[in-house]
Amino acid sequence: MGDQLARGEEFEKKAEKKLSGWGLFGSKHEDAAELFDKAANCFKLAKSWDKAGSTYVKIANCNLKLDSKHEAAQAYVDAAHCYKKTNTKEAISCLEQAVNMFCDIGRLSMAARYYKEIAELHESEQNIEQAIDFYEKAADFFQNEDVSTSANQCKQKVAQFAAQIEQYQKAIEIYEDIARQSLSNNLLKYGVKGHLLNAGICQLCKGDVVAITNALERYQEMDPTFSGTREYKLLADIASAIDEEDVTKFTDVVKEFDSMTPLDSWKTTLLLRVKEKLKAKEMEEDDLT
Amino acid sequence: MSEVFEGYERQYCELSANLSRKCNSASVIHDSEQKKQKLSEISSGIDEADVLIRKMDLEARSLQPGVKATLLAKLREYKADLNKLKKEFKRISSPNAHDELLESGMADVHSVSAEQRDRLSMSVERLNQSSDRIKESRRTVLETEELGISILEDLHQQRQTLLHAHNKLYDVDSAIDKSKKVLTTMSRRITKNKWIAGSVIVALVLAIVLILYYKISHR
Repeated sequence: MGDQLARGEEFEKKAEKKLSGWGLFGSKHEDAAELFDKAANCFKLAKSWDKAGSTYVKIANCNLKLDSKHEAAQAYVDAAHCYKKTNTKEAISCLEQAVNMFCDIGRLSMAARYYKEIAELHESEQNIEQAIDFYEKAADFFQNEDVSTSANQCKQKVAQFAAQIEQYQKAIEIYEDIARQSLSNNLLKYGVKGHLLNAGICQLCKGDVVAITNALERYQEMDPTFSGTREYKLLADIASAIDEEDVTKFTDVVKEFDSMTPLDSWKTTLLLRVKEKLKAKEMEEDDLT
Repeated sequence: MSEVFEGYERQYCELSANLSRKCNSASVIHDSEQKKQKLSEISSGIDEADVLIRKMDLEARSLQPGVKATLLAKLREYKADLNKLKKEFKRISSPNAHDELLESGMADVHSVSAEQRDRLSMSVERLNQSSDRIKESRRTVLETEELGISILEDLHQQRQTLLHAHNKLYDVDSAIDKSKKVLTTMSRRITKNKWIAGSVIVALVLAIVLILYYKISHR
């Protein structure tokens, strides 16, 4: 792929010359942008992502001078995709600029989509708080554009991460909200028990027994079929285990549920936290007695 | 005459019931002396039954044709029954050597209960297997349900995307109409400008020609 690299460099030099020279009729930016585009293509083929990314950024600058924000935003997005493979921070900054431009033009749905991408990049870098921030923004924009499924998906991620960093109330509200919205929809109503289970687990992590029983009643009201499901049984059993402060019962109940449907890692982390709290309470009781 | 036949019938029924009972009891007896005694009893009983059947046959054939048919049918049933008994008898008497070879000299009661215990453990084993299989199938059903739920979510999303695209296309439609209008206005203006420019050029040329003409004519 060495020749691709060479071709790319050639195109880039030509474009730079165009920019610095005096073009006819002021079309120099457009021509330069075209040449830069070809150069960036060659760099992509040669797999030198950094160069490709920087070339796309140059294209964006040219387009900005030409006042075509749409093209500039698109170029920033392409740059971000190239940088994704090597340098995530650059990618994030490019995407942010792209999002700002899309907001200016008024293409909010594209802005929302790219906010989601930024959030995903943050998630992969484990910046959970930033990720939550961007997922929230994305959910807001999606909601404005009435694309409720994407909004719900982003909100779900927000709730997941919120629960991970122990903002349980927020997570509970989001899950209950999503469950309520899904009830009315024929296609989504089978997923309701999953959401209620997540909400219930967050309630358990909060550790307030009265609230848990109230919540279970509320869920029962929301969805009459909920009480027949294994999820409800699991939640009720765990609530009673916490009441009786019996760790073995807790482990048994969880094991039984796990044998039927394996629990995913998020649920396992949270349930582990509940178990630790329960054990700590038990230890406390033992110390006092 | 049919009374005689009925009498033979009754005797045969009693005899066959007796014989089948003796066969069943003989099959569980392992003591060879008792068994031999029982077997000889059974064989004599079978011979008696044979004689009875032959007598019934003669009686039936000597009667009128209508009654004969029904009696012969009954007789066939009894013969089949007797054959079954004979087979049973053979089965009991012949594996004797086999049994003696495999017998470990246990007492009757113990062997019976060991057999029962074996059967019990087998059935318990089978019940456990079936309950395992049921659990496994339940697990699969739950997995399938989860899969179904996620598929439904995907479908919902695609539905929204499609509706969104539908609406966008309506917007595109009206935008195209607008642009068509703009283009027609543009083209009209262009033709207007062309005419204006053309007429201005013509006027100028005319003016130049006139001036030249006057200049030349005044010379």
